[in-house]
Amino acid sequence: MLLIKKIPLVLLLITGINCAAQFAGSRSFKLLDDNRPFKINTLFKTREGYIYAGTTNGLYSFDGKNFKLINTNTPAIKDTVTAVFEDNRSQIWVGYKSGRLAKKTKSLLQYFEPEEGTPKVAITAFLQDKQNNIWFATNGEGIYYFYNSHLYLINEEEGLSDKYVHALALAANGDVLAATDQGINICSINGANKKIDVLGPKNGLPDYYITAIQPAGNNSFLIGLQEKGFCFYNHSNKQITIPAAAGNWNYGQVNALLYTQNNVWIATEANGLMKLPDAATAAAADFITSTNKNNINNLLQDNEGNIWMTTTSELISTAGDKLNLLPIYDKAVYETIHTILSDYQNNIWAGTDGGIIKYTRSANQWTSRLYPIKGLTSFTDITGLYQDMYHNIWLSTMGEGIFVVDPVTGKYRNISENPLLKKASILSITGTGNTVCAGGLEGVATIFQLSELNVTINANYTFTNYDSIPNVGNNYIHTVFKDSKGRIWFGTDGKGITVLEKGRFKHFDKTNGLKDEHVYSFTEDKKGCIWFNTKDAGVYCYNDTVFKNFGAAQGISDLKITTIKTDRLGNLIIVNENGIDILDPVTGTIAYINNNQGITGVNTAIESVCTDIAGNILLSTENGILVYTPSAKNILRPKTIIDNIQLFLKEIDPVTDHHFKYDENSFTFNFTGLYYTNPEQVHYQYKLEGLDTSWVSTKDQSIPFPNLRPGKYVFHVRSSLNDNFNNADEVTYTFVIETPFWKRIWFIILSILIVGGLLYWYMKSREKHLNKMQLLHQEKVEFQFQVLRNQVNPHFLFNSFNTLISTIEDNPKAAVDYVEQLSEFFRNIVNYRDKDVISLGEELQLMNTYFYLQQKRYGNSLVLKIDISDQLKKDCFVPPLTLQLLVENAIKHNAVSKESILSIHLYTETDSRLLISNNINPKISPEKGTGMGLQNIINRYNILSENSVLVNTENGHFTVSLPILKK
Amino acid sequence: MRRQLFILPFLLLALAFKSGNSPQDYKVSSGSISFRSDAPLELIKAQSSELKGLVLPEKKQFAFIINVKTFKGFNSPLQQEHFNENYMESNKFPVASFEGKIIEDIDFTKDGEYSVRSKGNLNIHGVVQERIIKCDVIIKNKNISIWSTFTVLLADHNIPIPKVVHEKLASEIKVDVKAELAIK
Repeated sequence: MLLIKKIPLVLLLITGINCAAQFAGSRSFKLLDDNRPFKINTLFKTREGYIYAGTTNGLYSFDGKNFKLINTNTPAIKDTVTAVFEDNRSQIWVGYKSGRLAKKTKSLLQYFEPEEGTPKVAITAFLQDKQNNIWFATNGEGIYYFYNSHLYLINEEEGLSDKYVHALALAANGDVLAATDQGINICSINGANKKIDVLGPKNGLPDYYITAIQPAGNNSFLIGLQEKGFCFYNHSNKQITIPAAAGNWNYGQVNALLYTQNNVWIATEANGLMKLPDAATAAAADFITSTNKNNINNLLQDNEGNIWMTTTSELISTAGDKLNLLPIYDKAVYETIHTILSDYQNNIWAGTDGGIIKYTRSANQWTSRLYPIKGLTSFTDITGLYQDMYHNIWLSTMGEGIFVVDPVTGKYRNISENPLLKKASILSITGTGNTVCAGGLEGVATIFQLSELNVTINANYTFTNYDSIPNVGNNYIHTVFKDSKGRIWFGTDGKGITVLEKGRFKHFDKTNGLKDEHVYSFTEDKKGCIWFNTKDAGVYCYNDTVFKNFGAAQGISDLKITTIKTDRLGNLIIVNENGIDILDPVTGTIAYINNNQGITGVNTAIESVCTDIAGNILLSTENGILVYTPSAKNILRPKTIIDNIQLFLKEIDPVTDHHFKYDENSFTFNFTGLYYTNPEQVHYQYKLEGLDTSWVSTKDQSIPFPNLRPGKYVFHVRSSLNDNFNNADEVTYTFVIETPFWKRIWFIILSILIVGGLLYWYMKSREKHLNKMQLLHQEKVEFQFQVLRNQVNPHFLFNSFNTLISTIEDNPKAAVDYVEQLSEFFRNIVNYRDKDVISLGEELQLMNTYFYLQQKRYGNSLVLKIDISDQLKKDCFVPPLTLQLLVENAIKHNAVSKESILSIHLYTETDSRLLISNNINPKISPEKGTGMGLQNIINRYNILSENSVLVNTENGHFTVSLPILKK
Repeated sequence: MRRQLFILPFLLLALAFKSGNSPQDYKVSSGSISFRSDAPLELIKAQSSELKGLVLPEKKQFAFIINVKTFKGFNSPLQQEHFNENYMESNKFPVASFEGKIIEDIDFTKDGEYSVRSKGNLNIHGVVQERIIKCDVIIKNKNISIWSTFTVLLADHNIPIPKVVHEKLASEIKVDVKAELAIK
């Protein structure tokens, strides 16, 4: 300070600062098998966001933590993957060093060979043209493309300048640009007609050997060169532009290029990864490089904005565009920073123990300028810096009030026109438009209203002091904030919030739901809600009616919050010692940038964070000033992906398979919440609708559901970085396990009907059978009764005895026979009585016996003629005594005498009917009969046979026709 | 352009038959082509053993040619007539040919079995289509045996398919080529 006194005030200390810097948040992954690393030849990102690594051991998927080998359908073939591609139908294509081609189906790579065969050299790149045809480039055979189910080749015959093709790119007009050893080849294809234009050094290309082509927007391409760095090629006007930065290239071959929102990233052979902001105009000095690794390859930006690259044996990620450590490194200064400010020219002002320093960037060179202020010692805390609308710099101090500095001349003055601020301890200084707000100890709060007079610092400022705010008294005021509606907010140390609105004070404290009354800083979101952070209770959002708290349960990583800011996209940046939480005020989703992305040791002074004019957030950290660049690419939540679904551990196709049989019921769901920025932090919740009613939280990425019952199910899974799943990315898979057919309603009804029908039929037929049996039985009994009555009727016996008597006299021997026959007759009647049927033979025998008995009486007047085959006698059945009865009837109803012979004829008709016929000799006095005998026969036959008995009297004959019964 | 391409194989053949060529050139000693069309209603197949051709190892060039009218073995004389008159128009386009360059480098002086692809112009029905055709090659005692199977899309060569016989003709014809070549 002694020195400063002796030299004029305008003396400026200007120093150049070393520009060496590292990329923030480098992480490295090795792909090992038996501790032997595989070389990653190519990196690819699917539209879903998955990173694939093509290696010397095949294709791997990478989820941020682990590499997973994608198996091939021929595991015996170990081939090196040299190109990976996803077409617009999400089909993954893989090209190999051997020239093989493969496509991925479900989780398996299937080699395939077109009819034309596959190349014999390595496949280096794929492309899908505007007609959706797939192209692939080779290292030695030129370029192939599929068209109309044939494979075509572009080689030197069509004018390709070289058969060694390293990269392909699609131009806006559908042309395909190919990077070869001999310039860029522009391929215009119309069906099988090919036109090749070569772009080489004579067109202004700095180098023959093209290593890479990357789209850089507006039909412009970044061209990687073997020797001369890189250049731009615009396909619309065919212009080649060599950026100044590549003018004198000595960093080795460019292996890969990437064009991101803010930068050109260059992977070099000899100088590691290089980043060039504003590539078109930048000079070589603007390169930001990481020199600790060489031979960088394969640049890729993931969906969260991280940049990935490979070295010989590693996969490395960096935070990409989102974090930049400003290459102004002066550790001694950093350790004493209390406050920083980014001014309207993007100069950075730092309030340190040594006073205020301004850092100015020109090209990649940062210079610093100290603004000495008399009256400030190294013991004076500079608490805050603010640039007003006239670009003057305000600084607040502990114990010395407020100074205002002219940044151009370095002149300054203490604001002494406000007696309240004299020797006051000011904790913060903020403002908006023509308002500057200061708050401090002992309830000091002052609002300055700037006028045109205040363009220079010399004019007095108009101000209002709020030193007697109700409820605040002499408590600290940590911060004063003017919002877009003109309200002035005072955040106090322990007394809550006071807001001045239209001249009236309103107070908010515990009674309004604030869990903590220490309020450190305010900000306003795009919807006009006021956000503030508290000492221990996280942040609050006030929407003019209620205070909504965001604490640990909502995902705030650290409740010791330094300060809160709104970034360019309208997200809340909540700063803590270990990094930042990014809160989307619309959804409440919170993401984190901390140690894993390269932030460490964040300054805990409230004013050590600032916003630049572009809305980027500047943080003072132990490693220097870190700039967080908000980008739509910095997605705040993991992307949930169902990797595969297995049925009994066999993978199914989730696109086509949704219906399963009743016994296909054991499922396993494998899923990933892709969040490369911090994969360890991903939590999951799942729910199987149809089984679970609530969400189940898990860290597992594989959930089995064995033995599911038939039904409709929807599997839901979502992932989040914290316990707040309100806005989590959710995916679902719907499936149905069919009810087995025997449990379906139609089957049950049909079964009941069939069983019922069978039962009904059975019962009906049984009933019928029983009826029949009963009827038969009844008929039988009646018949027996009839027969017995007939045979024991006195006439029969009387006649028989008379016959016997006359025979005994004439021929005693014949009488004995007669009696034998008579007893035989009666024995048979008794024997057959209980039977339903007897054989025809038996019946005939019985009938013969009877006939014998009758013939003895009538002699030759009675004739019986039987024409029945012996076979039929055995096979055919009749109800017992049927024929006997019919013969008996014939004798009974007809006159039998020598004059009128009764001739009975028994014969068959076509083996189906048995006929018994007799000539009619009418009696003078007809026998009175009951008619029961014949009727009974008819009834019995009706029960035993489907055919009925026919009786007719024709041509003087009485005939009874019986159906023949066969067993 | 088409006409020029059309006569190219003849020129090449003519050139090759003249003296002054490299003694290493090979000529087809016996060769056959057969084709089949597995149409839903009718199988059409025919073959010819009148394949002529040359392979010039030094230039990696080759040419094969066949007289369309020499195809025999149709199901019926009517089919043959249709083939020649309706489809191939063999009076107008008497030959089919394939000439071009071999993609791979193979050593024709060394015995062995190779899988070789060739890129060339396939001329059928007067329409030239660039094609890559894969074939298996066996080199033994300075004799070359070649087998190849490829498909020809009728539409590629403007071979008209009348609506009536649409079912009879597959839109894709499978062609088998077999050739033995020896140094001239």
